[in-house]
Amino acid sequence: MNHIKLIDCPIDVTYAINLISDPSCGASSIFIGTTRDSFQGKKVVSLAYEAYENMALKEMDKICSDLRATWPDLKHILIYHRLGTVPENEASVVIAASAPHRSAALKAVTFAIDQLKSRVPIWKKEIYEGNHDAEWKENSESIRPKKSLSSFNYSVCKVDESRVVSRNLVQIRANDCELKNRVECFFKRKRAEINSCNVIDFKQSNLSSNINSDTEVDVSCARTQSTISKQEQSNCHLKVRRATNRCGPQQMQFRPEYKHELSRLTASRVSTNEVGESLQNSRLHSIETYMGLTSKNNENIINRIKNVENRILLLESTSPEYQHFFEQSCMDQPEKKIKTNKTYSAHELRVYIHRKNKECP
Amino acid sequence: MVFVNMNTSRPVSVDIHVLFFAKCRELSQTTRSVFTVPSEIRASDLLDKIVIQFGLTTIRHNLIIAHNESFVENLNDSIFLKDGDELAVIPPLSGG
Repeated sequence: MNHIKLIDCPIDVTYAINLISDPSCGASSIFIGTTRDSFQGKKVVSLAYEAYENMALKEMDKICSDLRATWPDLKHILIYHRLGTVPENEASVVIAASAPHRSAALKAVTFAIDQLKSRVPIWKKEIYEGNHDAEWKENSESIRPKKSLSSFNYSVCKVDESRVVSRNLVQIRANDCELKNRVECFFKRKRAEINSCNVIDFKQSNLSSNINSDTEVDVSCARTQSTISKQEQSNCHLKVRRATNRCGPQQMQFRPEYKHELSRLTASRVSTNEVGESLQNSRLHSIETYMGLTSKNNENIINRIKNVENRILLLESTSPEYQHFFEQSCMDQPEKKIKTNKTYSAHELRVYIHRKNKECP
Repeated sequence: MVFVNMNTSRPVSVDIHVLFFAKCRELSQTTRSVFTVPSEIRASDLLDKIVIQFGLTTIRHNLIIAHNESFVENLNDSIFLKDGDELAVIPPLSGG
């Protein structure tokens, strides 16, 4: 059973222990919080407690539920808290728990007092001897204002109203998660760009000037996996026996033609599926149009999907910094279609109808 | 013909009960008060309004709020208020 109370009179500890004791329990654990008689050299005369009572009881009940969820063995739980004026050295809070074994009882009480100090809306004011001002205390564990869960700092990218914004940029509403994702994609893209530049730089910096540009790729030692072993009776200490480049710019020319391979593999399957093809085609075509891509209908469907995917990845990782992508793309096409939302007055309409009537009597 | 756009809902104002405890109660010199606010508002904006209205600026950075007896854990959250809702201004706790 849960015993929860906010009380105005002294807490009877013996009574509390009796409440939670049970024949089936080998352990009862009790915590008694008492008021101290001094704070920073000032003598405490008394303490005044106040609570947001309904909510405090609710939160205390929640603590009980949490305790039972964590230690299902618990038999009885008691949380009593004093309100009003409490003279020094009296119990202000009593927490007790009983369980078949001591571990659950002891841990539950510790957890409960920590939770109570952080979440139950009760406040304590210390009243001191002499001329010292009374003071509202603050638990270090107390729940504090949290504001920073929204990780995106909107203030760092203020919108410059004066600038003419490209028509291709639209304002979107997105939650933090989406924004974070977009920023991460942008980082990734940037990283990839920098990486590819680095590879090229590395290649060039290793080139001596007398090697002509045709052999450049072959002699580059970027991304090399080599096995080195000493030869018998060799004048040299070390000799390269084998070098394998599994990836890297030197291997570009050896890569299989993925596009070609794909077309070859899927050609037969696509042609047999002619009934569904027109529907697929029209849907894919509308997606392509929407994304500003052009393709021939007879082009391999896998390639077209791949292009769409690439486009999505590009757009996802694109920020205003990448405006040049828009400029070279064909996204400007639908310009003509945009309607002007001109409103006509009744008079204008009448004039228009009149004119039309005249034109075709 | 006249078209009325039903979607552009203007923010509706609601009357809520604001409760003050401990130091907040002393600074605001009241235990509860009726306060008119928009029905949808970010918790931090609501807290700012209350802080200004009730003279709590000295402790504003330590305050949290509880809406209908539940803590609003994150002040960036939007809260949706109805007439008669209870909003408690909660300074740092010191129970135990």
